[in-house]
Amino acid sequence: MRDRHLKYLLVLPAVIVVFATAIWPLVESLRLSFYEGRLSRPAFPQSFLGVENYTWAFLEEPAFWNSVWVTATYTFWTVLLTTLLALGLALLLAPGGRLRVTVQSLLIIPFAMSPALIGVSFRFMFNPEFGLFDAFFGIVFPPLATISWLSDPTLAFWVCIMADVWGWIPFLTLVLIGGLASIPRDTIEAAQVDGASGWRVLKDVTLPQLVPVLAVVLILKAIFSLKTFDQVYMLTNGGPGTATQTLSHYVYFNGLKYSQIGYSAAVAWLMVIPMIFLTYAYAKFVFQKK
Amino acid sequence: MAKVVLTNLTKRWGDFVGVDNQSLEIHDKEFLVLLGPSGCGKTTTMRMIAGLEDPTAGEIRIGDRVVNDALPKDRDIAMVFQNYGLYPHMTIYDNIAYPLKVRGTPKPEIEPRVQKAAEQVELTEFLHRKPKALSGGQRQRVALARAIVRHPQVFLMDEPLSNLDAKLRVSMRAELKHLSHMLQVTTVYVTHDQIEAMTLADRVAVMKNGRIQQLGTPDEIYNDPANLFVAGFIGSPAMNLIEGRIENGVFVTQGGFAVTKVEAPNRSGLVLGVRPEDLTIVEPGTGDFDVPVYAFENTGESVQITGQFNRQRVIAKGDRYLKREIEEMTGMSVDQKHLYLFDQSSGERIRN
Repeated sequence: MRDRHLKYLLVLPAVIVVFATAIWPLVESLRLSFYEGRLSRPAFPQSFLGVENYTWAFLEEPAFWNSVWVTATYTFWTVLLTTLLALGLALLLAPGGRLRVTVQSLLIIPFAMSPALIGVSFRFMFNPEFGLFDAFFGIVFPPLATISWLSDPTLAFWVCIMADVWGWIPFLTLVLIGGLASIPRDTIEAAQVDGASGWRVLKDVTLPQLVPVLAVVLILKAIFSLKTFDQVYMLTNGGPGTATQTLSHYVYFNGLKYSQIGYSAAVAWLMVIPMIFLTYAYAKFVFQKK
Repeated sequence: MAKVVLTNLTKRWGDFVGVDNQSLEIHDKEFLVLLGPSGCGKTTTMRMIAGLEDPTAGEIRIGDRVVNDALPKDRDIAMVFQNYGLYPHMTIYDNIAYPLKVRGTPKPEIEPRVQKAAEQVELTEFLHRKPKALSGGQRQRVALARAIVRHPQVFLMDEPLSNLDAKLRVSMRAELKHLSHMLQVTTVYVTHDQIEAMTLADRVAVMKNGRIQQLGTPDEIYNDPANLFVAGFIGSPAMNLIEGRIENGVFVTQGGFAVTKVEAPNRSGLVLGVRPEDLTIVEPGTGDFDVPVYAFENTGESVQITGQFNRQRVIAKGDRYLKREIEEMTGMSVDQKHLYLFDQSSGERIRN
């Protein structure tokens, strides 16, 4: 066999795997989104609905709009808080030294936990009867000890955000430490000698040079926040009511709980739209030529 | 304008000694070059003056002020970095203006001062570009302009020419010399390039292992080296250093080879230093000694002849029209007025 054909043969297994696990399901889900696709009925024939699943989501389903709103605010706050806190931590840890490197390594621990596990842990910690937080507040500030965190819509929302921020800070911190390390030290020292205070060095020299990495961090975190499912599923299961129901959770509920595969495929495809924009932006920043 | 005084300055990292209990006074308006091989402590010394490194012990004074605890921004210095240290996201104009802006210089003053600094380094047409769009030499000019736009008490220059190619380095060196002559600001300049040191300095401090080996004018450093290290470090090709002893007024090296007459008492454990230009190439039998030619090199402006006896090689510089074949015998004659004797074990100069 000719060598120039051999290379195609060698990548073929990978192409088949990708096709079977990513491309085909994607196409199939797009097809499904135009059908009624109820799991409770025989698979064939299913009635073709055209764009009805989509219009249904937009026009008839307040729960859809609720989960859009939940996902949007959830994404906004988690991205903002995680990035800010990670940036602060990265600036503290970047200079190196034995203590800082030790802390950097310890930092990995939250990131090593699966989001579902984080959800379960936080649910236990916020349990009103035997949870860590209420026990802690019982000692430090009793008025807060009687709060049932996960039963209050607003508080439950913020507990979800807190758990997510806690889990994501380490990874983003490490990425930003990497970004800080790639800034030429000369430029920072030049600014110090030129007369800039610590704050101005950060504002005028460090941060502007960190922008590409910051952008990647923001986009990456936004992508992950938009598709949050497992953590919320374990922590609040979208409740109380639908106060913490993210889009992924909504898709899961409609598809697998209510057996409306067609409808949930349509909503899932609506989620793809912002994802495409974010992924495009991400690729642009990551693969941009220096 | 100010003098800089270092007193018993020391920098240690664990067991490693970067700068070892060094004192040095840099005069007002002086151009002082710290010269030495890498790791000798010259850059560390400069960084301590800048405030980018904290001394382990000792005192730093700029003007009449002890600045040990002052931040770099409060030391009234300007620094030029080896890698230029330009702000990549700012235009050249903003780069040069930054020291003024950050120190709260009134806006109407900034523009003319940036223009003037840019003129002094011939950069006016590039002010709206970013550093990325400039060549290495132009970037170094921007770094210079950023240093001179303010009128600091002291300039610090950390190997500013070492990233430039050889030809550019020579022309930038002349520009730097001219600029420093016009500005008359106390300057500390770090380099490992002896030519830069010789050409630019009012005084040179030759450093090794965190200590200054010799401090003096380029003339003194070249013609009156204090020890073996300085003698061997300065000069290209390097000074010939021949180990041996003095027997009855003759310097004898290994194998009993008599090199030249020396007016000094008998003594062993010596190193004789002769610069290549103080060795004259003569016809065999008419000089101080004869050696077979090991290599003949023509540099255009002169020739270098390496002779070898036993395992000892000596280099002599000769007139550019001179010719010798390899393995041919040649005579070499030593200029008696420019002989240097060193103690082999301590490396110290023996003066007679």
